[in-house]
This record gives sequence, structure tokens and C-alpha cells, in this order.
Amino acid sequence: MITAYVRLEVRRTLRDTSFVVFGIGMPVLMYLLFTNLGADADTGGWKTASMVAMAAYGALGAALGTGTGVAEDKGIGWLRQLRVTPMTPRQVVIGRALTGSVTVLPAAAAVLAAGALVNGVRLEAWEWAAVALALWLGALPFTLLGIGNGYRLTAQTTGVVNVGCSLALSIVGGLWFPTELFPHWLRSLSGFTPTRRFAEIGQSLAAGAAPGPAAVAVLAAWALLFGSYAVLSYRRSARTA
Amino acid sequence: MTQTPQTVRTARTVRTTRTAPPAHDEPAIRFRHAAKSFGAVRAVAGIDLDVRPGETVALLGRNGAGKSTAIGLLLGLEEPDAGTVRLFGETPDRAVRAGRVGAMLQEGRAVPRITVRELVAFVARTYPAPMPVAEALELAGLTELAGRRIDRLSGGQAQRVRFAVALAGNPELIVLDEPTAALDVEARRAFWESMRGYARRGNTVLFSTHYLEEADAHADRIVVVDAGRIVADGTGDQLRRAAGGSLVCVDLAGRPTEGLGELPGVVSVEVRADRARLRTEDPDATVVALAGLGAVRGIEVTAASLDDAFLALTDGHTHTFSAGSAR
Repeated sequence: MITAYVRLEVRRTLRDTSFVVFGIGMPVLMYLLFTNLGADADTGGWKTASMVAMAAYGALGAALGTGTGVAEDKGIGWLRQLRVTPMTPRQVVIGRALTGSVTVLPAAAAVLAAGALVNGVRLEAWEWAAVALALWLGALPFTLLGIGNGYRLTAQTTGVVNVGCSLALSIVGGLWFPTELFPHWLRSLSGFTPTRRFAEIGQSLAAGAAPGPAAVAVLAAWALLFGSYAVLSYRRSARTA
Repeated sequence: MTQTPQTVRTARTVRTTRTAPPAHDEPAIRFRHAAKSFGAVRAVAGIDLDVRPGETVALLGRNGAGKSTAIGLLLGLEEPDAGTVRLFGETPDRAVRAGRVGAMLQEGRAVPRITVRELVAFVARTYPAPMPVAEALELAGLTELAGRRIDRLSGGQAQRVRFAVALAGNPELIVLDEPTAALDVEARRAFWESMRGYARRGNTVLFSTHYLEEADAHADRIVVVDAGRIVADGTGDQLRRAAGGSLVCVDLAGRPTEGLGELPGVVSVEVRADRARLRTEDPDATVVALAGLGAVRGIEVTAASLDDAFLALTDGHTHTFSAGSAR
């Protein structure tokens, strides 16, 4: 039952032109621009580090976008219609989270492909696999954040809030520009963001190293926080929607 | 498809066995003193209602009468503040989870970016024993549109999709909230034909409407709801009779109107252009009395329309004529 629901929702997402253009195309474009403009384009493995960071940005956008979809479904009465099918509310939420995980894949994979094919990034096969897996699993907290927003807010507000979250988390998390360019206070702040740690895990793996325990711990803490937020939002909307 | 008064009466007293599974000695729908308020508004103010398996029942009322809230309670979308609601003897939640119920909700809009077939096939898969997707599409008149995206259909076509969604799981009970609200005449006719097709299979149908003719033409039984209460329950004929039956009109030819109101059966008198219109519960007795007065001139006896009946029934009084659950 959940499989059928996930299949339906993934189809709907992939048919969304704005998701394909902005969710998948945009991170690729930004990656290629940021790594090929300017004289010192590839200093210190920036093409690889930025590839992971931009793939993380793509994954972040797709994960949050799931929440925008939830808000849209709530607005058109689709969630209410689902409540009068035999699917339980829990199955609907799990299905939505899984949908988020699936749509994260093309967004991240497109940037990795651009890195390998256009920018000539070379990694061991296991490193590619590990980076992809880390990006895939590590996007879960952001899916939960998006879903939390989606259940709590209207479709329009969710769109704006999710874009805002995406921008703030990307910039402060150093997904667009390396944190080495940040002033000291911002760099310390960056260490607490889930996005910085999300990218860091992928970057460690791309460099052939195991991710640091601090990175995993910070990301896991955020996952717990966003997960609780999603559950609370869902419960609140179940009473009103 | 109209039922005799006797059949309606049995709905209360006899638990029929029909051809259905054993659990069917339970009514398909049972409200017991169910009430629901939103803030200070008593949307449903204590409803008692039993619907037998296989019945087609119309919930008739004006906008804001409490129909949608009653349906929300019925589907488990709302929790009653007081009283109980049971479907086939179970809580609405359990009946819905068991796939015994399908619903067409009022406020549903088109789900974007999927085709008709994809949506109907998905909903069917969530039920334990769905009908074949092709059959659901056929019943809802969507075969030709199966490959089209729902967000590119007309309002009437999208409405048919919602009907297909309600019946895709082959549930025993379908609940339709204002199913024809967005349909033109032709689409409406086609819709009712589909609905009857589904009801003929022995399924229970409950639909809400504010169109009297629809309730009369397509339901075995009409439950009139007003201000959150059931004010009448019976067949269209019973409602007409209950509402002060008939209209007797005579030319006054200059006669005074005094005393007309005291004639047997007469409920009200209205004079228009030297013609008296007597609303009466017993037209025979009224006519005989008029003849006794020598006042039979251009006499005309007509049955009250269902519109008259509806207006009379929703004037704030509770009518106790029926065998159903009106008090």
C-alpha cells in the first residue's frame, strides 16, 4: 500500500516542471558556474568539495520540496480524501517521507554526474557509492523539516518558508561558498548547522576518510529535532484539516 | 425505486438479513444522539438515524443545515462531542480502515500531475477487495478519459473522477457529499445513472443534496436536516403528505372569507385576486365542506409540491409523521 502511494507521489513530483528545472537543474548550473568562473577555479580540490556541497544543496531543496507538496495536498483536500481510504495516517506520513527520499536522489545524482563528466572529478568507485549513500540518507532530517512545515502551514507560506530555509541553511552551512571564506563567528555558527555537517560527511567520504563523529552527532540531533517537529505539526493538522 | 411506508417502518424495527455477510444484521449506518459543535455553533445537534444495508438515502437540507458535518462524523473525519456513530457496528475509523466505506468529499479539488487511471488504480489498491480499475472507470463514465491528467479536466469530468475514487475500492457503503454540485444537466443525469448502477449491486448509498428533485428521484428515503436536527424522514410522498398535503383553490365570487379557516382539514388560507387557496391535510373533507357552503366555483385540487413540503418541514417545527427517527 505504501509502495503504491510512494510510486504515485514520486510520479507527481517528477512531472512537476519547476521541480525538474529548479530542483535538479539549478544546483547543477550553480556548481558548474562556481567551479569554472574565476582564475583560481580549482584550488585545493574545490571542484570535488563543491560537487558534494552542491549535491547536498540539491538534496536539501528536493527534501524540503516534499513538504511543499504536503501543503499543496492539504490545500486541495487530497490529504482529507486519503483519510477516507483504508490507508492509516501513519502510512501516509511514512509514504511522504519515503517519497522525499526518492526525489532527493536525482537532484543529488545530477550534480555528481556533472562533477564526473564535466569537471573531471575522479573518485574510487566505493567513494562515489559512499558519497551518494550519505547524501541520500543524510537528507532525511531536511525531509522531516519540510514535512513539518507542510503540515503546519498553508501551501503558499510553506513554499516561501521552505525556500527561506533552503537559502539560509545553504549559505550558512557553506554549501555555496567554502566556510574558510567566512568571518570567524560565522564559521563557528556554521558548525552547528545540519547542512554544514551534512556536506562535511559527504566531503570526508569523497576524500576517502570516515566522517567525524561530531558531524554525525550534530546531524543526528537535528534529525531528532526535525522529526519531533514533523510529528507535532502532523498531529496539529490532523485535528484541523 | 420508491419504497412503501411499510418498508421504511421495518428499517427501525426489523433487522433484515438480506443476502449479505453475517455482520449485516447491523445497520450500515447508525447515529445515536450524535452531536458536534464548532465553537458556539451546534452544527449537528443530536441525530438518531439508522440506515439499512442496501438502502439509498438522501440527506436533504439547506446550506449550513449540518449535512457536511453529519457526513464528517459518519466518515470519522470529525469526532462527535456526544453520542455515537457506527458503521456496520464498528467505529467509523475501523470501518474505513477495513475498506468498507468509500467517499466523495465536497471540497476535493483535482490532484495535480496524475492521470485518471493512475489515481483510480492507486485508490483501488488501498482497498482489500477492489473492483477492476476498468470497471470503476466504466461505472463513472471515464473510460475515454482514463489517460488524461486530472488537473486538465473540466469541472464535471473532475467530479466524475471523485465518484470513481469513491467506488474504486468496491466498498459496501458510499457516501457522497453534494455529488452533483458542479454538474450540468446532462452530466447530472449520467451521474445518477452510475450511482443507481452501484446501488443496484446491493450497496448502501448515502448522498447529501439541497436539490429536492434529486432526493425525490434518486433516493429510497429522504432524511430532511435542518439546524443540525433531523426534522423528517420518509419517502418523497410521505414528506408531501406530512407537509399539509394538498391545495384546494376556489373562486370566491365576492363571498366573504370568514370561516374558511375553520373548515375541516384546512391549515391555512390565502386570498389572491378573489381566489382562495386553502392548504389542507384532508382535501376530501375540505371539498365536501365547501360544497356544503355552496362555495364550489372553479374548484381545483392539487398536491403540494415537494418544495412546499420542504419549506413547511424546515420552518422550525419537528414533524413526527414518519417511521424513521424524527422526534
